[in-house]
Amino acid sequence: MNALEIENVSKRFGDFCAVRNLSFRIPRGTIYGLLGPNGAGKTTTIRMVMNILIPDDGGIKVLDRRMDEAMKAHVGYLPEDRGLYPKMKVGEMMLFLAEIKGMTKVKAKPAIDRWLERLDLGEWRGKKVEALSKGMQQKIQFIVTVLHEQDLIILDEPFAGLDPLNVKLIKDIMLEFKDKGKTIIFSTHRMEQVEMICDNICLLNKARMVLEGSLQEIKKRYGKNTVVLDYEGDGGFVKDLPEVVKVDDYGRSMEIKLRDKADPQSLLRSLVGRVRVHRFEIQEPSLNAIFIDNVGVDHEKDTSGH
Amino acid sequence: MRKILAVIKREYLQIVRTKGFIIGTVLGPVAMAALIFIPMLIAMASGGEKKTVGVIDTTGEIFADLDQKLDYKMSDGSRRYTLSQVAPGSDIAAQRNGLSRKVLAKKLSAYIFIPADILTGGAAEYAALNVSDFDEVKRLNEALNAVVIEKRLKKEGLDPAKVAQYTRRVGLKTIKVTERGEQEDVGGTFVIAYVLVLILYMTLFFYGSIIMRGVIEEKSSRVVEVVLSSLRPFELMAGKILGIAAVGLTQYAIWALFGMAASRYGGMLAAGAVPGASGFKMATIPPYIFVYFVVFFILGYFLYSVLFATIGSMVNSEKEAQQLLFPISMLLVVPMLMMMLVLKSPSGSTSVVLSLIPFFAPILMLMRICVLLPPFSQIAASIGILILTIILLIWVAAKIYRVGILMYGKRPNIGEIVKWIRYK
Repeated sequence: MNALEIENVSKRFGDFCAVRNLSFRIPRGTIYGLLGPNGAGKTTTIRMVMNILIPDDGGIKVLDRRMDEAMKAHVGYLPEDRGLYPKMKVGEMMLFLAEIKGMTKVKAKPAIDRWLERLDLGEWRGKKVEALSKGMQQKIQFIVTVLHEQDLIILDEPFAGLDPLNVKLIKDIMLEFKDKGKTIIFSTHRMEQVEMICDNICLLNKARMVLEGSLQEIKKRYGKNTVVLDYEGDGGFVKDLPEVVKVDDYGRSMEIKLRDKADPQSLLRSLVGRVRVHRFEIQEPSLNAIFIDNVGVDHEKDTSGH
Repeated sequence: MRKILAVIKREYLQIVRTKGFIIGTVLGPVAMAALIFIPMLIAMASGGEKKTVGVIDTTGEIFADLDQKLDYKMSDGSRRYTLSQVAPGSDIAAQRNGLSRKVLAKKLSAYIFIPADILTGGAAEYAALNVSDFDEVKRLNEALNAVVIEKRLKKEGLDPAKVAQYTRRVGLKTIKVTERGEQEDVGGTFVIAYVLVLILYMTLFFYGSIIMRGVIEEKSSRVVEVVLSSLRPFELMAGKILGIAAVGLTQYAIWALFGMAASRYGGMLAAGAVPGASGFKMATIPPYIFVYFVVFFILGYFLYSVLFATIGSMVNSEKEAQQLLFPISMLLVVPMLMMMLVLKSPSGSTSVVLSLIPFFAPILMLMRICVLLPPFSQIAASIGILILTIILLIWVAAKIYRVGILMYGKRPNIGEIVKWIRYK
């Protein structure tokens, strides 16, 4: 059983193709990372899932039903471009947003109260939205999205603008939803967050899908060809070593991609004596590296083609 | 449908609760009534002031008659003006000086000097601290005038009563010829037409702007995508337009109540304040004018609110909207400029054609209906054309709106908008 099935979906705006032949499936009860650089087609894809945009070709099935206007009520959506009505009172505005989602007043009111209490916002119910801090507005926005506790919830950058405490709070709720069997589509640019909570991912670039599948399998596919090095000293020479393909240098730490069949031990030998090595670990590439690898290569191809 | 209702409710309450609406709706008519009635009440209240007026009558024959003519009573039945005769002495200038000092010392309210040649054309003089109370000056002047003219006529051996009868002014009544027969016109036609058209013009503009601002606010606060994840763009636009329409009708209803109260009690009040005002006839407005007014308000409102909503969806800020608003303002201003032309010849071919153009029809057809009821076929044609235009406009506008509200950044040009309309 899939929470979402996208089959050969394309969307054009005039001459511009925003999404090209996209297909993927999201199993129920998982957290799915929808990734890609800006302009890759993520928002267009999500808007088509929400029936805000209509695909030119292909089909979308949500919770085993063809997506249509009535299905909107069964999907919670926190858009990246989000906002609230600044002049409305918090409680009234939440009730309005719940009502247009098809919730009755009788059901919505206790749910709103419960969630406001849980996220520590109970005393703000009668205040105007514009009086709230940005972080509080973010939390209100999150509550409005999950108020119905639908079976499919789409969160686009849910942690933006939140402090670490609130990030943990929202992350825990996401995991709690997953335990209850709900499906979450999680879109973000923060790869370390994806690595921590996503089961499967889809990476889009320039309207096309470039990677899709279980996060573990994707990483395994890349193999243990990466070395994480914590060091002290001048590491500028590393990128010129014969074993090395690519280096992401952060100053005190670097992620080194090795050539196929290169021996990590010979790399270690070259390092010793030239820099102080604090950590030398052979592992799968980080999702960040995979992202840059896929998107970056494509970018280079694209520029050489011009 | 429940979703649209929720939007209607939100829009309605958001506007009706604002201070601006309460002030405009409730205090507006109150302020207007106050402007009319407070001076009346003040006039009534200040009627309680008794005045003692000195009179130097150098002719010696005016005073008694003037005293008799100036018979204004106070509310308790006593005389308002007490005249005290000052016998003219040898030094008139010194005497007048003395009276002036009395006026300054407030022992006298005023004094009147009647010259010896008043019957042959001389002017009397009225001296007081305050000479800008027109009503009082007019009362004194009229009384003096009547006395002097009577004297002049008597000197010529004429009967003042007969002369008054012979020189009575001739009235000219204006009669409006309509298919329902001749109706006496009390000079209200033009005023009614003008007031109704002005109300229509202002409210179309006002409510259109409110809708546009609402759309821009939803865009700039980025709440629109959240809302669109629950309902269709068309439902949002429809809910908005209907919600604001309800606001407009609420405002009209309150104003109508005020108007009814004013015409009911205003006349009584006016009659109490100004003697003779009870004869003032309130202009009667045929009920069909109100029916057409509401019809053309609703149609005009839909036409223009759709335009305003579309503009709101295309821009990022109210400032940007101003440029796009110009053509729409023209559509509303042109019929206002054409009004005089239509008034002069309401059934001329120019008027007929203008009042069939959908963007002008609400104002100009209403104008024609007020002035000279056109054949029903023409009214029906203009309503029909309006409805068709509205349907067509909603179809196009909904397509622009649904793309526009999710677009940020550069304002689209015509080519891009045409593309938007073609999107699936």
